Amino acid sequence: MARLLSNHLKSMRPSWPSKQTAMSLSVNVSECGRQAEVLLVRVGKSIIGVTVLLTIAGCGAQQAEFVNRDDIEVLIPEAQDHVREVLDTHFGHPTNMVLWERMPVQYHGAYGAFTETPAVEGETEVTTLNVSLVEQNLPIEPGQMLDWVSGKYAGQARPEVTSFDEAGNQIGIVPGLSVPPDAGDRFAIAPGAVITQGRILYAEHCQHCHGVTGDGNGPTAKYLYPRPRDYRLGKFKFTSTASSARANRDDLSRIIENGIPGTYMPSFKLLTPEENHAIVEYVRWLAMRGEIEFKLIQALKNDYSKEAVQSVVTSARESDSALSADDARKQVVADMEEYLNGDWLEEFNDDTKFQADQWKQAEDPSALVMPKVARVADTPESRARGRVLYLSAKAKCATCHGDSGLGDGSQTLSVQKNPATNADYDEPGLFDDWGNPLKPRNLTKGVYRGGRRPLDLYRRLHAGISGTPMPAFGTVLKDEEIWDIVNYVMHIPFEAREQRPGEGAGESRPATPEVATTETQGSLQVAN
Amino acid sequence: MSIATPTAEASHDGEHHAHVEDKLALLKKIHTFSTDHKVIGVQFLITTMLMLLVGGALALGVRWQLAFPWESMPFFGSLFAQQGGQISPEFYTMLFTMHATVMIFLVIIPILAGAFGNFLIPLMIGADDMAFPLLNALSYWFMWPAIACFGASFFFGGGPAAGWTSYPVLSAVQEAAPGSGMAQTMWLLAVTFVGVSSMMGSVNYMTTIINMRAPGMTLFRMPLTIWAMFITAILQAFALPVLTAAGFMLLFERTLGFTFFVPGGLVINNADPTTGGGQPLLWQHLFWFYSHPAVYIMILPAMGMVSDMLACMSRKPIFGYKPMVYSMAAIAGLGFIVWGHHMFISGMNPALGMTFMVSTMMIALPSAVKVFNWIGTMWGGRLQFNTVLLNAVAFVSMFIVGGLSGIFMAAVPVDIYIHDTYFIVAHFHYVLFGATLFGVFGAIHFWFPKMFGRTMSETVGKWHFFLTFIGFNGTFFPMHLLGVAGMPRRYADPYLHPYLEHLLPMNQFMTICAILMGFAQLLLLGNFLISIFVGKECSDNPWHANGLEWSAPSPPPHGNFPSVPVVYRGPYEYSDPAQPEGLDYWPQTEPPPAPA
Amino acid sequence: MKRFWCTFFVFWPIMAVILCWVAPAQNWWFPRGASGTGAAMSPLGERIDDLFYMILIITAVTFVGTQIGLGYVLFTGARRSDAPHGAEDAEKTWFTHGSHNLEVMWSVVPAAVLLFIALYQMEVWAEFRVKDSFPDEVRTGPIAEVTARQFEWRIRYPGLDANGNPLELMPDPQPTDLYTVNELHVTSAEPVMIWLRSEDVQHSFFLPELRVKQDAVPGLVIPVWFEATKSTDYSWLCAELCGWGHYKMKGRFVAEPEEDLREWMQELQNEQMDDGVPDDVGDSQVAD
Repeated sequence: MARLLSNHLKSMRPSWPSKQTAMSLSVNVSECGRQAEVLLVRVGKSIIGVTVLLTIAGCGAQQAEFVNRDDIEVLIPEAQDHVREVLDTHFGHPTNMVLWERMPVQYHGAYGAFTETPAVEGETEVTTLNVSLVEQNLPIEPGQMLDWVSGKYAGQARPEVTSFDEAGNQIGIVPGLSVPPDAGDRFAIAPGAVITQGRILYAEHCQHCHGVTGDGNGPTAKYLYPRPRDYRLGKFKFTSTASSARANRDDLSRIIENGIPGTYMPSFKLLTPEENHAIVEYVRWLAMRGEIEFKLIQALKNDYSKEAVQSVVTSARESDSALSADDARKQVVADMEEYLNGDWLEEFNDDTKFQADQWKQAEDPSALVMPKVARVADTPESRARGRVLYLSAKAKCATCHGDSGLGDGSQTLSVQKNPATNADYDEPGLFDDWGNPLKPRNLTKGVYRGGRRPLDLYRRLHAGISGTPMPAFGTVLKDEEIWDIVNYVMHIPFEAREQRPGEGAGESRPATPEVATTETQGSLQVAN
Repeated sequence: MSIATPTAEASHDGEHHAHVEDKLALLKKIHTFSTDHKVIGVQFLITTMLMLLVGGALALGVRWQLAFPWESMPFFGSLFAQQGGQISPEFYTMLFTMHATVMIFLVIIPILAGAFGNFLIPLMIGADDMAFPLLNALSYWFMWPAIACFGASFFFGGGPAAGWTSYPVLSAVQEAAPGSGMAQTMWLLAVTFVGVSSMMGSVNYMTTIINMRAPGMTLFRMPLTIWAMFITAILQAFALPVLTAAGFMLLFERTLGFTFFVPGGLVINNADPTTGGGQPLLWQHLFWFYSHPAVYIMILPAMGMVSDMLACMSRKPIFGYKPMVYSMAAIAGLGFIVWGHHMFISGMNPALGMTFMVSTMMIALPSAVKVFNWIGTMWGGRLQFNTVLLNAVAFVSMFIVGGLSGIFMAAVPVDIYIHDTYFIVAHFHYVLFGATLFGVFGAIHFWFPKMFGRTMSETVGKWHFFLTFIGFNGTFFPMHLLGVAGMPRRYADPYLHPYLEHLLPMNQFMTICAILMGFAQLLLLGNFLISIFVGKECSDNPWHANGLEWSAPSPPPHGNFPSVPVVYRGPYEYSDPAQPEGLDYWPQTEPPPAPA
Repeated sequence: MKRFWCTFFVFWPIMAVILCWVAPAQNWWFPRGASGTGAAMSPLGERIDDLFYMILIITAVTFVGTQIGLGYVLFTGARRSDAPHGAEDAEKTWFTHGSHNLEVMWSVVPAAVLLFIALYQMEVWAEFRVKDSFPDEVRTGPIAEVTARQFEWRIRYPGLDANGNPLELMPDPQPTDLYTVNELHVTSAEPVMIWLRSEDVQHSFFLPELRVKQDAVPGLVIPVWFEATKSTDYSWLCAELCGWGHYKMKGRFVAEPEEDLREWMQELQNEQMDDGVPDDVGDSQVAD
């Protein structure tokens, strides 16, 4: 039998191993198989094409889109459309931003107004214009575009900047103009350069936590405690400004640079100052947009929520049974249109102006909280006075932060009222304005979110923390008293250690090097 | 003489219709709880090939982010509905964690030991089945709970995100990693299931190889594939319990409040400080005590199979059969005392670093010996340039790179710099993809005729090889340079660091190559699936190979051999001038010519 | 087609060698950073680089050698298979089961080379990690304590005494301590040591230009020493997976002359003691 096989195979041998070989022993090349083969080879070739296509797709732009607040859904569709339209008109989309001059955001490379320029006869190639810069965020370089923000050229083609004379405040543009713009007309150089850079950096560094709209609800956010800041109330916690004032640019920029200890907000120290500034401007822009959205919805919620309109329609039909539901609803919508085209315009105008002014005021040095009295010497006596104040009814620190600063005061166990709705929270404990549960700081840790300088602690006490139950003591306590508390609070972490002698390497402190190295001995002493 | 011989006549004489029915015998049982080792092998093979596509897709997600950071990703972006279509950093972490997990636990280990181990061991040693057929079937079906758990872990939070190494504290404390809650627990459960599956396989292989060899099949007449499977089984049997124990410790730590790995006083994600007195390095020791031998589990069977393929396709005996066997044994032995080279900079005792460096350097030696012997095997042979040989040569060529780059890591001072950079990524991809997977591709083409009685298309096979090889080297060779440039692994956005900014174009090039390579695998899958039904029919021994498996019908019926085969010689007697008929091969079952 | 595949297998190692050869010129090599050339910026780093190049040369020779061998074997093997087995004009297949002499040779030579590499590395490793081999300068104590946390570096310096000299760094925080985040200043051109620890998960202290890397392990305090040869900024990042923000752990590492460091620490102290009221430096003394 074996012999038979060998003989048989021997007869096949000449064809081995060329293509019609051993495989063809039982050859029955099915047509189907051949077709499949041809097809697969074609697939192989087209793979190269697909790869190229996908690569090109990869170079495509981001498709980030603003989404609206969830509570927009309570409004009737017409009102929702209005909110969206207002936001589109004044803010646009992430990739197609509208730069609203009213808002104090530094959008551009530079921004300013023309001063009087004498008219030049005839056509010139380059026109030199006298200007006065209001802000300059980036160096002005030839090749940048100039945008006519207002005046007779507004909306017309953008000329290119050819020169900039810093001393003489003169700017050259091409193509030249026969008639110069009027004095007072405003312009922007490198329009939108700062805010665009901010958006790109924001998408890289911030978006996955803080979200496209700054709602603090990016994909990573759900894993973080505390939650990332939701900018859309226009509120920031750790500011250097008075309790009623908003955050200023320095506050935001300092947080970006140093991070917030005790949270997941990391330090972005290695961003350049320009990059930091660009992000700050974009964040402010998002905050302004979010706040306007929030206020718009609040304003329309009362009369034009689905529920409110439904009840109006129902009551209208009760009084007039001939009225169809559709007509009744149309009436309400017509009322809304009338309101939106009338009174509302003025209200909106006033509100946004007020809001813009608040942001502007925060930049004013007068808005800064600065102690009038230097820090009281950090003596045991001062700390003792601080301790007394800490426990006193005047400052009431202990009610939240606890008698020994562990953040376990009595308030954390009782049910609080929501200051916005005046209703009780569902759960005991403290909440912030964003509705997130909040633990009072554990002061024994020595971790201070708003900064560890005495000045920072002073400011926390003086102006409180906006958006949280931490009150401002600036009016209640004298500067000296605040300093006493600061001295006491800064000493709490060490006090805890002094009270527990022998537990120096306590719970939050891993073993010290001395302890760790004793385990390994001998000639080859080990370094861990 | 009533020795079983291949039934080439049958396939030649026609009866095509009846035969076609037969050819799908293994496929037809694929959904059943069959205890036939061949069916189980095919089940493993098809499952792992599908998992290969899953793992590859995850890798493409990773590559996408590295080439086009923070830009909307096609398919994945919308699938996971991230804001702005971005791959968020924790999703990126999950992508590379699951890529490694799927590739290691669901592709490479099961395709080598599970698919080829199962299919080949009884056939190559002349047994009718495994020693414990039921256990064998269970080892396949235990893959499914693992696949289910891994799959489920995608849907808890951000998925397991502590890397496939799952170092505590990151993997032990819920607050430390997104989705580290149920996802990480599911992951650990899945690893346990895979471990059980492997363990059942390994016990079975050892028993079968020791006890069920055909008459005349002495240990040193076994094909190197069987030696490799045998040694792999031993490795698994000794290393796996440690991983399983470590996995349970971590599970208990996560769910029952034990503390093995987490020291006290850690404040993670602003939660209360941890309590207890664990030691994070303990996990690293336990994990690598398994996972370094596992690296050899992931390559030894491929080495064995490539040896068989090279000998057959060079029409030449293996060069240095015994040194090959001893090398594999040495790799296995040394493999247990080198785990510390993963931990040089982990803070372990530096004196250990020195001893591990010496043992690690020494383990390069048997690998080198094997490479020389493979080249020696081809030397002076008549090379048959088919898909099998191409893949096998690619194995050798890529393994040389992977082996040499390993020396850099073994040298501790150099490792200080390149540890956890892309140099490491390049190294293990050259070994695990470049070597193992090319070996597997070759093995699929080589043994496919035995499984289905047809051959896979050569043309498509060569296209697949061509595109994969180009794509592979284009993707992974530049990683060496990225590593030298100091680019760390597992970075969602390396370009945040100014000294890495200029590497973006190179990463884009690598991603293009990776996409090319990823799509090329569709050719393999298409070729495999279509050839099952319409591939060229072939004889029982289409390659004119010597191994016992080629003397069985294709596909072998239940019980494999019509009667017990008798073995007269080693498996590599190709081109022996003493062969009485002047053939260039001499099957193991063919009796020597009677003395004149 | 056979010749095509042979060429194919020879082509790619050539490409690989060319790629590595041009890599330094293309800036695909060691980070150029402060040196501008990619050379290590610390004496220990230079020795690590030397070891790297030594291994590179050995492996390159092996790589080229084995690939040439493989190419030769492929081309001759292709030629041999032109004629079918048994044909008249066919070249004979080399029927052999191996060579004992060859096996011994290619076992002993690589073994000797590998052992040499291993033993040659010991000294540098000892100097980097074994405390007894540390340079004398760093045995006095650490300059700062670096605590890694998700996802930033927090640094604790000892405070300064009245003369502006740093106090001794205590294992536990002191009221006088100075803190920074992601910013580590050290003296240049002399070995300095830090204590490395972690507040949450594993991290790794990685200074690519100085070739320094050491994991920060929760529960351990690990001394790490390094010496930056040049006064400038260096890259500093995390090299051990520590969670989703792993890639964000970017710090500013500044090596500067001792006077500058003192000055910087003094500024730090002034800032840290800032109470917002000018002209009262020293007014608020720490009583401990």
